[in-house]
Amino acid sequence: MRRATWLGGILATLLAAFWLGLDPRDLAEADPDLWVAFLRAAIQPALYDEATGTHWLVPQVLHATWATVSLATSGMGLALAIAAPLTLSSSVRFTGGGVLCAVSRTVIAAMRSVHELLWAVLFLAALGLTPSSAIIAIAIPYAGTLAKVFSELIDEAPMDGARGLQASGASPLQRLVFGTLPSALPDLCAYALYRYECALRSSAVLGFFGFPTLGYALASSMDSAHFHEVWTYLYALFVLVWAADRWSWAVRRRMVRA
Amino acid sequence: MTVEALYAARPKDRFLRGSLVFASLLLLGAVATRDGALSELWSPRALRNLARFLEEVRPTWTVAWWREAVPFAAVTNTVALAVAATGLATGAGALLSIGAAGTITTPEPWLASARPPSSSARWVWHGARISTRFVLVILRAIPEYIWAFLLVALLGLGAWPAVLALALHNAGILGKLFAETLEDAAPSAPRALRSAGASRLQIVGAALIPTVLNRWLLYLFVRWETCIREATVVGMLGVVSLGWFVSDARSRTHYDEMVALVAVGSVLILIGDAVSLWLRGRLRRR
Repeated sequence: MRRATWLGGILATLLAAFWLGLDPRDLAEADPDLWVAFLRAAIQPALYDEATGTHWLVPQVLHATWATVSLATSGMGLALAIAAPLTLSSSVRFTGGGVLCAVSRTVIAAMRSVHELLWAVLFLAALGLTPSSAIIAIAIPYAGTLAKVFSELIDEAPMDGARGLQASGASPLQRLVFGTLPSALPDLCAYALYRYECALRSSAVLGFFGFPTLGYALASSMDSAHFHEVWTYLYALFVLVWAADRWSWAVRRRMVRA
Repeated sequence: MTVEALYAARPKDRFLRGSLVFASLLLLGAVATRDGALSELWSPRALRNLARFLEEVRPTWTVAWWREAVPFAAVTNTVALAVAATGLATGAGALLSIGAAGTITTPEPWLASARPPSSSARWVWHGARISTRFVLVILRAIPEYIWAFLLVALLGLGAWPAVLALALHNAGILGKLFAETLEDAAPSAPRALRSAGASRLQIVGAALIPTVLNRWLLYLFVRWETCIREATVVGMLGVVSLGWFVSDARSRTHYDEMVALVAVGSVLILIGDAVSLWLRGRLRRR
């Protein structure tokens, strides 16, 4: 099985490359000057506007960064609010299986199966270019993913606490909140923070659709071939994602210890 | 102990409390500034837009219409993009993971050498490991869509920028995960080979790869699921996957076709997830 899977994978890759007409010679045809200019700009990110050379870029970078953070945070906040009831209804332990659980799992699968950028395209058509479109576009698929993983984490958490409470006559909600949740909490928080990191990336990409995040600034700099500015924005995104990753790591470590 | 005493003795952590406060402040700040507010959702303009949109998205249930709206090539290209990118990412991730693994890229792998390594040897090995890890961090910090946008500008339109974009981001993720499995592998076999004089690469090929392959396959399939999602979307930059047809329908304001294409993409993702889940289940049982 293992060997067959690997061989199948290699064969499938070659087949897919052939299907798409991927030819390594096409890569050699790319303009080397453009590449060199782009990569050279990596070590000299712009601090000043490249068009004039005098206008300080930092306020613009900070503005785009804050727009990215605020979109991601609102989207994530809404996603958590939607995910909370869906987590309960998708948890086998809380509902005891049954129709509600099955329906709820189908709903969250549907929410997840449309990419946030496609949700964004739908909401741009339905609502126009307002921050709401972007926030809802992030919130729907993220709520689906959060509810799926949260309900799995709750179902896999140790049973002992909940059993003890059941013996003393606690309701299902009490068993969940006081018996199961405390042991699942570090994993829940770690996963929520990981998704926040993903939300920052998604929010940056939503800039390509006209929202004022890092993606918007990056796209307009790239379109005017201002490679140094492009790298400034790339580094800003990198720092943002890296900070979120470190935060999530520190929170998880302390929660497991406590 | 009374409940009050238990409550007073609960574990407290200043950093965690600070984190909670910081997260709440971020949320408040985000909602307060215009970029993060849901306020415009109920404006008359948005509601008018919504009514017009729903008017245009009347489903048409004829086979001919669906065949016209959703070209078969869009679906096959999306799957092919995901497969080719996962294949490339696995190759690149495997190579990078060897450089990033702390047990391999170190002056004294698995066994202390007879003479302590020179300080320049230390610098070279640690430098190589740290720079490989840095490359991996950069690769995965930049989202697929941004890689694709940059590569379309540098390489021109075609399948290459899309495949490379997905491959670069996933090579960063797979490289990290593969390196962790290499580091966690049992050290007994590598140690025995090392004492018999095997080189690093010989040990990787003979002792490590066989033990980690199964785990790598599991990771690979998880990333393949994500690749199908992203392959749909990078099409919007002009590569002929589902996303291209979505943005084309959007620019022609044929919203019914657009919704149909998004629905097909959603079904494709659900099928991909199911296939991957089934294969992973079979692999786990081995």
